[in-house]
Amino acid sequence: MEAPPVTVMPVTGGTINMMEYLLQGSVLDQALDSLLHRLRGLCDNMEPESFADHELVYLLKGQQGNPFMLRARRSLAHPTAPWHLRYLGQPEVGDKSRHALVRNCVDVAASHSLPDFLNEMGFRMDHEFVAKGHVFRKGALKVVVSKVSRVLVPGNTDNIEPLSLSYLVELSVLAPAGQDTVSEDMRSFAEQLKPLVHLEKIDPKRV
Amino acid sequence: MGVTCVCQVPILEGKSVQQTVDMLHKKLEQLGAVKQGSFFVDCETYHATSNASGKKRQPSKLLYVMHNSETPLSCLALFEGGPYLTADVNFDVLMVKLKSHFQNAKGHKVESRGTRYRYCDFLVKVGTVTMSSSARGISVEVEYCACVVPGDCWNLMKEFMQSFLGSNVPELPSVFAAKPEGLYAPVDCMDTMVQYLELFSKVRKQQVIPGASVR
Repeated sequence: MEAPPVTVMPVTGGTINMMEYLLQGSVLDQALDSLLHRLRGLCDNMEPESFADHELVYLLKGQQGNPFMLRARRSLAHPTAPWHLRYLGQPEVGDKSRHALVRNCVDVAASHSLPDFLNEMGFRMDHEFVAKGHVFRKGALKVVVSKVSRVLVPGNTDNIEPLSLSYLVELSVLAPAGQDTVSEDMRSFAEQLKPLVHLEKIDPKRV
Repeated sequence: MGVTCVCQVPILEGKSVQQTVDMLHKKLEQLGAVKQGSFFVDCETYHATSNASGKKRQPSKLLYVMHNSETPLSCLALFEGGPYLTADVNFDVLMVKLKSHFQNAKGHKVESRGTRYRYCDFLVKVGTVTMSSSARGISVEVEYCACVVPGDCWNLMKEFMQSFLGSNVPELPSVFAAKPEGLYAPVDCMDTMVQYLELFSKVRKQQVIPGASVR
């Protein structure tokens, strides 16, 4: 029987075993402009991209073990865009010589019914925040500079208050498991941002 | 995508599933429909393990994860009666991560596979519905690609279906009538999947047809 290309697709697809390599740091509000200036110079020549996102963190609590966490994000600037659902695994303990935090990562684009659907699955919203900032890219490297704000009235993203007087700076790469050379690239990129910002490997469990 | 109707066609008396499918193919070809590749729709069933916190809802509802060859990069997740979620195929990977909370009922995987026909603005898919490699029935999906409003084209679709299904023409799918906006709300791909899910649930409860293993 004639088989069209669609049947070649695996029934269960997706990208298995992607890892996120991450370095984090922060700058005071006053230093933002000089950091953005530096990033514009270092990164790929593209239109400056800014974003305003609302993130909801959901937990599924079991009888035993750690709760299962999922992050659902939607764009406030583009309300019709799909939601972004993200699973982040536990950071790999790995060897000390690795320069970045490494954790398993699954990104899913989803329709707007996502919050209802997660509720039906048994997930409950734990906390929410709004992140506003800028995105830069250099090849596979992604730099996000954002202001994190708490949501004062649940669900109302107009009523927010900044968490601190600084901006969060994140340098990340998504790569298949085992490609540890990317952490080298990240380190040398992070070197070039000094002394404006010190990007470090931060274990979220120790914060 | 257009307005779509999915129905189950009974197996002809004294005939096998394959023979009935062949009869339908012949009728479509006589009409002038042209073969255009093949298709599949599959459905996996997940149930919440006791580990998941479905405390308030007892027993917890089943979660269905479906795929359709017509939208190969999408994954459709449904609870019976809603809510429904359209996601990309990474949702399958997420379900693997969630396996301690949602268990895949392996034996419950149902799929429909078959030939895809085009007849002018109509797309017809005749599929053999199988569950754990035994043929359980026949599905026929008819899509009228030129219209997205069921209220505007249902009579036309019914007439077309009569031409090869005879008396087996289904009633208006309840998924359209159930919408708050009624028959004049535009359709989306989830309406098709809900109809397949209903058909699969019916087939699952059905008795196994003796000697109807596929190939």
